[in-house]
Amino acid sequence: MKVSKLILSFILSVSLFSQVLSAQIASTEELIGQSAKESSKEKLIQIVSREDVAKRFEELGVDSKVIEARIASMTDEEASKVAHQIDTLPVGADAGGSIIGAIVFIFIVLLITDILGLTKVFNFTKPITNW
Amino acid sequence: MKTNKLSSLFFTVAILIISSGCVAKNPLPLNNNYSSGKVDVPFIAPRSELCASTSIEMVSSYWQTQTSYIPLMSLAELDKRTLIPKKGGTLQIELIAAARANGMLVYPLEATFDALFSELSKHHPVIVLVNRSYSWYPLWHYAPVTGYDAKSQTILMHFGDTPNEAVPIETFAALWERSSNWGVVLLPPNQLPASATAEKFLHSAYDFEKTGMIKEAIIAYETALIRWPDYIPMLFALGNAYYNLHQISKAEEIYRYILLIDFKYPFALNNLADLLCHTGRSNEALKLLDQVVTNNVEIQALVKNTRREINRGCTSFIKKQ
Repeated sequence: MKVSKLILSFILSVSLFSQVLSAQIASTEELIGQSAKESSKEKLIQIVSREDVAKRFEELGVDSKVIEARIASMTDEEASKVAHQIDTLPVGADAGGSIIGAIVFIFIVLLITDILGLTKVFNFTKPITNW
Repeated sequence: MKTNKLSSLFFTVAILIISSGCVAKNPLPLNNNYSSGKVDVPFIAPRSELCASTSIEMVSSYWQTQTSYIPLMSLAELDKRTLIPKKGGTLQIELIAAARANGMLVYPLEATFDALFSELSKHHPVIVLVNRSYSWYPLWHYAPVTGYDAKSQTILMHFGDTPNEAVPIETFAALWERSSNWGVVLLPPNQLPASATAEKFLHSAYDFEKTGMIKEAIIAYETALIRWPDYIPMLFALGNAYYNLHQISKAEEIYRYILLIDFKYPFALNNLADLLCHTGRSNEALKLLDQVVTNNVEIQALVKNTRREINRGCTSFIKKQ
């Protein structure tokens, strides 16, 4: 909770700061962004999505000391993409053989072949005899 | 019935394994003239679950050997910035965000072999995302591609335990395709990707600004303007960056340069008018606004606002500071 409050204050201070700087100039965002000036509603949605990311990161065991910095280093688009798709996006892991995965896979294959009566690896399986 | 279902499941799995094992014989475009080459990227042995930060570190230490680039983070910090412990890995977005926070421009590679090889030929390593397994049991992995050997038709990459491991091009193509050929070029902000377009590069550079790294953004804009000197959106972004930093004379110079290229460019007219008003030159500012011709409602509203501000009398920058 503490973290998300920090983030919220960070975002607000950044957006207020940039408004004070120049009220009238056309921003680069206006030129290259898909939409023109952000409405305050859109801004609010983005703040909320950053809070969502912070919450999910806490649940997923990310060190609370770095959550703020990690979210601050994302652009609005990136933060909202993470907020909405964190559970479906690919997660790049290690290069190692992932031996456990392979063992599980072989186990399942042998289980199926056991059940089909093609092998007899495990004691607890009963082959389907009439196949 | 039950048996039928089970056996059909078994055969489906078997067919899936066999059929997806078939890899296109020649994944490279016909008549390609990709030549052999190797980028000397320092190798770091893999550490479980940390392939993203390891990949960033390898590329960032490569650039340290080539340029004056100094990374902003240590490997330990990168680890903390990228790993999601309960997922046992790193999201693509966080790889991008961490690399950028480390001071590197992140350019998303166009998903083609052409783009990959054009970066390699300019000695730019590329970090790719591959799936080492099948889509129904994905094992995602990041690794820097470091070269190509045309004779043996192998891609060289710091994939795992061996530096510059030679991966047959067919295998690489199959693994890479499963991530829709995802890759990123990481460079110091004073370098340009070989395959870059001005528009996409501007987005990458502007992402620096969006995350509060305006100095890096300015270096990137200025570098890009060497290759695309008259690309107005890039000039405009640079002018705005200087303006936001209150480097008024540089901003003014750039806005005026844009108007030399296109004297009707409404954004530059508006921003220059605003700048002039804030530096006590309201008459000239109003004259600039008179030149704006546009049907765009938003630009009309913007100009109207600026005009109102000028008529009200702008606060000077000196007073503000």
